[in-house]
Amino acid sequence: MDAVEKANTERQKRWAKDKKVGEGTYAVVYKGREIATGRKVAIKKIKVGQFKDGLDMSAIREVKFLRELKHQNVIELLDVFSSKTNLNLVLEFLDTDLELVIKDRSLVFLPADIKSWMAMTFRGLEFCHRNFILHRDLKPNNLLIASDGQLKIADFGLARDFADPGYKMTCQVITRWYRPPELLFGCRYYSTAVDIWSVGCIFAELMLRTPYLPGESDMDQLKTIFRALGTPTEEDWPGHTKLPDYVPVGQFPRTPLRELFTAATPDCLNLLSKCLIYEPRRRIGAKEALNHPYFFAHPYPSHPSKLPKPAIKNTLPLEEVDGNVDLSGPGPAVKANPPNKLKRKHSSDDLNGRSIARKLDFTQHTGDR
Amino acid sequence: MTTGSTTTDASSSKLSLYEGSTQYRHWRFSAEQLAQARASLNATAVSAIGEKFEAGSSSGVSFLSADEEVLLVKFYLAKCSQLCIHLGFPEEVEATAMTYLKRFYLKNTVMDFHPKDIMLTAVFLATKTTNHPVSLESYAQRIPKTQPSDILGHEFLVAQSLGFDFAVWHAHRALWGLWLDVQNLPDVNMDELRNVYESAVQHVRAARLTDVELIYTPSQISLTSFALASPALAAAWARSKIPTEPEPRVLAVIEPIKQMIASQGAPPEVEAVRAVDRRLRLCKNPEKVVGSNAYMKKQEETERKAEEKRKRKAAEVQKAMEDADPFGSPLARDTNLDDDDDDDD
Repeated sequence: MDAVEKANTERQKRWAKDKKVGEGTYAVVYKGREIATGRKVAIKKIKVGQFKDGLDMSAIREVKFLRELKHQNVIELLDVFSSKTNLNLVLEFLDTDLELVIKDRSLVFLPADIKSWMAMTFRGLEFCHRNFILHRDLKPNNLLIASDGQLKIADFGLARDFADPGYKMTCQVITRWYRPPELLFGCRYYSTAVDIWSVGCIFAELMLRTPYLPGESDMDQLKTIFRALGTPTEEDWPGHTKLPDYVPVGQFPRTPLRELFTAATPDCLNLLSKCLIYEPRRRIGAKEALNHPYFFAHPYPSHPSKLPKPAIKNTLPLEEVDGNVDLSGPGPAVKANPPNKLKRKHSSDDLNGRSIARKLDFTQHTGDR
Repeated sequence: MTTGSTTTDASSSKLSLYEGSTQYRHWRFSAEQLAQARASLNATAVSAIGEKFEAGSSSGVSFLSADEEVLLVKFYLAKCSQLCIHLGFPEEVEATAMTYLKRFYLKNTVMDFHPKDIMLTAVFLATKTTNHPVSLESYAQRIPKTQPSDILGHEFLVAQSLGFDFAVWHAHRALWGLWLDVQNLPDVNMDELRNVYESAVQHVRAARLTDVELIYTPSQISLTSFALASPALAAAWARSKIPTEPEPRVLAVIEPIKQMIASQGAPPEVEAVRAVDRRLRLCKNPEKVVGSNAYMKKQEETERKAEEKRKRKAAEVQKAMEDADPFGSPLARDTNLDDDDDDDD
């Protein structure tokens, strides 16, 4: 046996798959454990054989970035091994995700809890951005929660390095409700600000306990945003009318955030508003956000172990680690199903986004040296 | 550990970003370590392949030495660069593919896998990992006598050999930063500077044919390339960065890199490579030669093992069915059935 093959077998032997917990078109997720220690893990088995272009892009992205990123607030990739034509990602096992937490009506959130989740999200994101990585799919069900309450950013299947100036990127990324207006207007040159907008939407959702900007189509998404935050003027966002897919979607007045977020403190609303600034260059950065007075004011963030958590059910919502699966998943109609079906409903638009993103990526292979 | 891992977090310790990278952690060697690793890889390969030859027939075979393997790989590093230029791929793809090829042959021998094949897979994989994907079909079409399956056949092996460390930090990126930086030096002449940069780029490209990236950091290599193009500018830049040191130490650090680029930065002589390649035909692992006796034997062996495993699994399923409640096992148990990897295709 070749040395490389042998090393792979050795690695494979370190992990045991115990139970299948989720299946999609091109990945199966197992609950498993590290044999030597009994530590719980999630094993995501990606079926590679069926792709005509070999290892698929979202698997490659996920492996590439998670191999490099080690941070308390980013999901840890413990190992990678192959079995026949499958790629197996061994990920740390995480109990739940922020979407399930938000949806669990029996849980009450204190302002300090929201502050804690936001701090952890910004910390993880700051680390990604410091490493020149854009996540491009932040939403509550990609923010996983460990048993000790730590929040971890997961699903790097759409992530990429910052592009060099002059390199176009696809604008078909980020699940619609969390997608910033510049992408909806077809912006092909963008940066970390796209992730910040998503975090702003998540922040609002934590306070409202329901998605803040739930557009029904890309066009409706813009309308939904403008209805909430007012139609941007040329002064608010210079040059936005020149963006490739710009269309006027009507004039809506700006309503102060305070009217919707009645219980929030001024610091809190100030940070939220800075995440949702139209002009991407003026939107707050992750590092700056971490230094925002909101995080230093009373009440202080809850300790992660004290955060509200759904009661552990028998069927573990492990599918979050397999966010990039199931292209044929049930459409928006599915609502009254177990937790992971709710997620499916959400993912249906991002899945569209993914397939488009992949297609677009294939067209942009010629660059100048 | 989930919670105990904070000490290894780049965020919470004093590690630089580069020190947190897989490149720093897994692919950094001393020159001696490299030589040692290659020698032992070669020795293991020679003895393993020797056994694969039919009894007695290996006695007259002259296997390749570690240096000869390196020479052959280097030839294909140069080819790899040409191929990427020919296909119009960005420099990022070219540099990444060359790194993959070098790393691959720190884990494998050319006597098992010929670099001309691995090169094609390394380039294809690099297009994907650097986010410049092309369709396999169009890629294969543009390379003579190559089928998509030739390229995909090795993809897993290459990815595995790389330990799935796909991200690579390149000297040409560091050089770009340096180029932006030197423009801020006082009294620079932009035309002159541009010439220096262009020439430094050539030195970075030459450096890709050498082992420097396995020993030094991208920033060290980029500064070396800059120094090769203009020692005065490189020194001025170093002094501006480290004003406390009138003779910045980094200028001494890069001396051996200069030597390596100067002495090894050119493609090898075709004649020498041809001689090695000719010998390789006689000493390559017979198990990898389609149609040879050893190849057949290995195939049969693999097939036999797979068959055994299938039978064992069938028996288990059979037993599970016999033991189980005729109306089906409780729902939760179903999920236990498919935890083997055999069912995949």
